[in-house]
Amino acid sequence: MFSNFDFDVILRSLPYLFVDGMSFTLLLTAFAATGGIFFGTLLALMRLSGLPPLSLPAAGYVNLMRSVPLVLMIFWFYFLVPYIGQWITGAPRPIQVGAFVSSLVTFTLFEAAYYCEIMRAGIQSIPRGQVAAAQALGMNYVQTMGYIVLPQALRNMLPVLLTQTIILFQDTSLVYVLSITDFLGAASKVAQRDGRLVEMYLFAAVVYFIISFGASRLVRHLQSRIAIVR
Amino acid sequence: MITLSHVSKWYQSFQVLNDCSTEIAKGEVVVVCGPSGSGKSTLIKCVNGLEPFQQGIITVAGTSVGDRKTNLPKLRARIGMVFQHFELFPHLSVMRNLELAQMKVLGRGREESKERGMKLLDRVGLREHAHKYPGQLSGGQQQRVAIARALAMDPIAMLFDEPTSALDPEMISEVLDVMIALAKEGMTMAVVTHEMGFANKVANRVVFMDRGQIVEDAPTAEFFQKPRSERAQVFLSKILQH
Repeated sequence: MFSNFDFDVILRSLPYLFVDGMSFTLLLTAFAATGGIFFGTLLALMRLSGLPPLSLPAAGYVNLMRSVPLVLMIFWFYFLVPYIGQWITGAPRPIQVGAFVSSLVTFTLFEAAYYCEIMRAGIQSIPRGQVAAAQALGMNYVQTMGYIVLPQALRNMLPVLLTQTIILFQDTSLVYVLSITDFLGAASKVAQRDGRLVEMYLFAAVVYFIISFGASRLVRHLQSRIAIVR
Repeated sequence: MITLSHVSKWYQSFQVLNDCSTEIAKGEVVVVCGPSGSGKSTLIKCVNGLEPFQQGIITVAGTSVGDRKTNLPKLRARIGMVFQHFELFPHLSVMRNLELAQMKVLGRGREESKERGMKLLDRVGLREHAHKYPGQLSGGQQQRVAIARALAMDPIAMLFDEPTSALDPEMISEVLDVMIALAKEGMTMAVVTHEMGFANKVANRVVFMDRGQIVEDAPTAEFFQKPRSERAQVFLSKILQH
């Protein structure tokens, strides 16, 4: 059944697919995950602060982000960020930030909401006595969080954080709506140009599967190794 | 050194502490005992501000604990505390547990902190366990590390919140031995415990609490021989009948 398929097109376009496409996908995933975990942790600390001026905005933000489709956010930010930039800097024209920065901002802000909920669960999983012990030794809030609570929360939550990052890796393919050359975008462009839709989309699916499945196996392996002895 | 005067505390409408006043002089060892739910743990946690209280004044070395202007972390750094469930930091090695607050709170260098930590580990007989993680130690060993961790801060007083209650019976004496040695060296100590043998041996005074009140506050010998209140008599007869 594959007789009139031309799998050679994959071989010919490999450099383009991986050097241009996959590197963008991985870069976007890595940056958005790092930024997302950072801001997500801040949001989680705000939500758990017990201070309404901090916890209410954080809760509102998380609920808003989780109720809006990601594609809509990508569009929205792509068209809006230039105007926000103009408004902030007072420039005469909308500031063009480029598709990469725009999608990075979108994914960071969007994922922060999800990472926030993971980190919140992680922080709550640390026994209150640990906080009391840190305080009794004279540590302030920042030291207690930084040296005692967050390292343990991160470690407890690492498998879930990585699983969320695998989802993020798959979700980055949505930037194709901005005609960005990520891995799927590159595959799609080759497919259109050479008229080899089935081959290219099949190949793209296989690559996404291998990376995601491999990564989730790695997470499972990691899970058994990092457990803290209690 | 530690003064409590007319301390009261409520959880919503429930009163946990009712007009508690007592004093702990420098070098004195005071045992706080009483039935469970009598507020003795809460009282001792008020002393270093881990629990807020609504009425009364607590001062430690002249500093008012409840005062909004008091730098609580700074005050807590001078008071050692040992918890029922040890509360060692499980993601850090024993040595890191001892070093961390010395370095981050007192601003000591790593070498100095390590040296001080080793000295105290030696003292509690756990020198060879420095590289291990808390989860690899027995309960008694963990509690001894916790005492060493508190001592590493060179505290002016030590608070113990039921330090042996979570231990298997055969490990209780190894912890009590460390505490007895500490008491004999002249450390100021407030100890919440049911270990009446310990109280008898080293305590200068016994504070007996029931339903949030300090019912009896007497020199140790007097407390054990002829407790004045009926509640203390009942408590003692129950706890000493075995």
